[in-house]
Amino acid sequence: MGIDALLEAFLSVLNGGSLTYLMVGVMLGLTFGVIPGLGGTTALALLIPVTYTLSPLDAMYLAGGVMGATSFGGSISAILLNTPGTAPNAATTFDGYPLARQGKAGLAIGASATASALGGLIGLFTLLLFIPVAREVVLSFGSSEFFLLTILGLAAIAVSVRGKLLRGLVAACIGLLLAFTGANQFTGDTRFTGGLDYLWDGIPLVPALTGLFAISQMIELALKGGSVADDKGDKSGAEKMKITGVGLGILSVFKHWPVLLRGSIIGTVIGAVPGLGGTVAAFLSYSSTAQTAKDRDTFGTGNIKGVIAPESANNAKDGGSLIPTVAFGIPGSAETALFLAILVLHGMEPGPSILLQNEREIYGLIVALTVSAISASVLGILLSRFLVLITRIDVNIIVPVVVMLSLTGVYVLEGRMADVLLTVIMGIIGYLMIRFDYPRLTLVIAFVLGEIAERSLHQVRLISEGEVIGYMLGRPISVILIVAIFITFLLPAMRKLRLPGRGGGAR
Amino acid sequence: MKKGILTGLVALGLSVGGAAWADYPMDDEITFVIPYSPGGGFDTIVRQFAPALGEAMGATVVPENISGAGGARGGQAVHRADPDGYTIGIYNIPGLTVNEVTGRDQGFKLDEVTWIANLAVERYALAVKADSDINSVEDLCAIGTPKFSDTGATSTASVTTRISMAIIGCEIVDVTGYAGSNDSMIAVISGEVDATIKPITSLARYLEGTGSGDLKLILTLTEEEAVPGVASATDIGHPEIAQFTLNRVIGAPPGTPADVVAALEAGFAAASQSESVISWAEGAGVELDFMGAAETTAMMSSLATFYQEYKDLVGTSE
Repeated sequence: MGIDALLEAFLSVLNGGSLTYLMVGVMLGLTFGVIPGLGGTTALALLIPVTYTLSPLDAMYLAGGVMGATSFGGSISAILLNTPGTAPNAATTFDGYPLARQGKAGLAIGASATASALGGLIGLFTLLLFIPVAREVVLSFGSSEFFLLTILGLAAIAVSVRGKLLRGLVAACIGLLLAFTGANQFTGDTRFTGGLDYLWDGIPLVPALTGLFAISQMIELALKGGSVADDKGDKSGAEKMKITGVGLGILSVFKHWPVLLRGSIIGTVIGAVPGLGGTVAAFLSYSSTAQTAKDRDTFGTGNIKGVIAPESANNAKDGGSLIPTVAFGIPGSAETALFLAILVLHGMEPGPSILLQNEREIYGLIVALTVSAISASVLGILLSRFLVLITRIDVNIIVPVVVMLSLTGVYVLEGRMADVLLTVIMGIIGYLMIRFDYPRLTLVIAFVLGEIAERSLHQVRLISEGEVIGYMLGRPISVILIVAIFITFLLPAMRKLRLPGRGGGAR
Repeated sequence: MKKGILTGLVALGLSVGGAAWADYPMDDEITFVIPYSPGGGFDTIVRQFAPALGEAMGATVVPENISGAGGARGGQAVHRADPDGYTIGIYNIPGLTVNEVTGRDQGFKLDEVTWIANLAVERYALAVKADSDINSVEDLCAIGTPKFSDTGATSTASVTTRISMAIIGCEIVDVTGYAGSNDSMIAVISGEVDATIKPITSLARYLEGTGSGDLKLILTLTEEEAVPGVASATDIGHPEIAQFTLNRVIGAPPGTPADVVAALEAGFAAASQSESVISWAEGAGVELDFMGAAETTAMMSSLATFYQEYKDLVGTSE
């Protein structure tokens, strides 16, 4: 039955007008993705009132087009400007930007485009496989598993800040501090709000991330001057102008297929857990790839696997985030929440029977995501020749444009001037972190995970009547996660023990 | 002579003013403030009502999302606007009432708002897992400190759960912190908690007949039988817990003139009769329950008294 619906959805999208909506969605998604501060959520939030007049299916195509294209769009700015276009691309900057500075932006974009498209497809394929058991999957993830997943994420922070452990921990603690701002879900009291009702709902994610990543990087660029791909007297400017390596980039993804597969699986699983999202997925994929790779010491200096890992994960996450949606009609991500809102706006009520009642819309969205993932990447590869020129533009032109666009984007999302102020403050904090070499992504991961960790621990405590450990050990998935946490912690130590045997010398 | 001119000007001013109110609404747009982000229940009902309201009043109604601070920020925006009928808003009731009772400063007082109408009401019910042996509130309480699930400690559902179970005389643990109301219902299905109290329309999608059949109702918080075969609040001897409802209430800035209120009230009355709104409500399972300005104002003050009475239970979750 599912296959029929899928085929029908594919055929109907190829028919006439629908494809137009999809392609408009892809273009919007790419544009919103490329511009720091604007992302898929903003695009969909702005589109919701517009879809009011569309047929539900066309609204799905539009939404799917946007969702499938934003994170690849975001990787372009991450690679070229060291400024993630959307938060999940933050991990892509680690190796993507060094590649761009070495004049290998084409290689990075080719790899990112391919990893994005394939990651997206693997995520959707996994979703289709999981549809029959989606209910069981969702039901087996309770508060205990949520808590352990957040701890796994926090544990990965500790091991990913190689050589900068103290700085990493400081950044993570600041992130946790920010996460705990706002109303306490258990007592209803407000914390750390300083009497500002703006902070009741906590520190909003989009302005905080835009400040930390985009504004801070623009301050850095402005102070440095010149252009991104600076002529440091190594190669001649003309040689770097040539876009080579896009094809090599595409091939590299197939060469490193285990990285792609791992990233896609991590992305799908994390995507299925409401609240965790693409940033965590990309980070976990990056850190686990960097941890286990033989050439792990080249990560951070322009290793192509450092681009493939996060990009496959943050696209696979879209498929994963639909698992709770098809199971119970609940969102797995901010984007799917808005997708469900579009259904509500069209008088449908998404619930556990969403697959029966809204089969056309769900499959329409899956098809739209598939077509979008592929066409965004193809478009990106075709345009890469021109996109790379961005790295040659004087930063005095780039900085004001990016700052203006991202601050406007932050304002547009909720229409709050305070968000703009917060973005600027976080931008300054972010710049100080760059300046004094504190890892920004560490702060963000702790910020994203902190609140969920606190909430779910409280829940487990209440549910288990105080017997937290015993309760967790009685749940198979929890046990697996506990083992994973231990391995994450012990891996560096185990490696140290083995290192002398291999002659050491690394780092 | 001077005095005469002044009197004349005042008279002119009054007559102009009078004419303005009589002409309301003029060509100006009516801003309809939604205190939440696009896509939620409040946003949806406003966007459904806006065109019908505009048609009824001969004006353009523009929905505007001003989210933040749990709905307080949108309320503040309406509060600060000129009381000329060109800015109105939808309010989260009794969420805001509960906040006020717990002493949280929301930047405006609910008793200062000019209430226009009540558009819809949602009633609560108590649900347990469909295949459980629990078939009544008595069964549930007999298992000893049953666990309930909710989103935030100050959410209306959580407050409803704690107060009504206290009235019934059943000691519970309310596990708060679920990401959304759906997640809290799924926690019952997965067996993480024993029961949950949620609006009937939200529960419907998990019930036999209207949805997946994962949950079953054992009590509705209504005076009379609302769902066939399910006990009502009166049946279990606590009709007072039928006072817990979730309302979609419309208000305007303090001091909005009576004829503007009357015009808006008539506009909403007509809109709630309109074909588009009725067919949407049927499809989405929304119970339209139109109340005029006077009735809404009375309801607001009785809600405030009601929650004040249970002030001690409103605040915390344990």
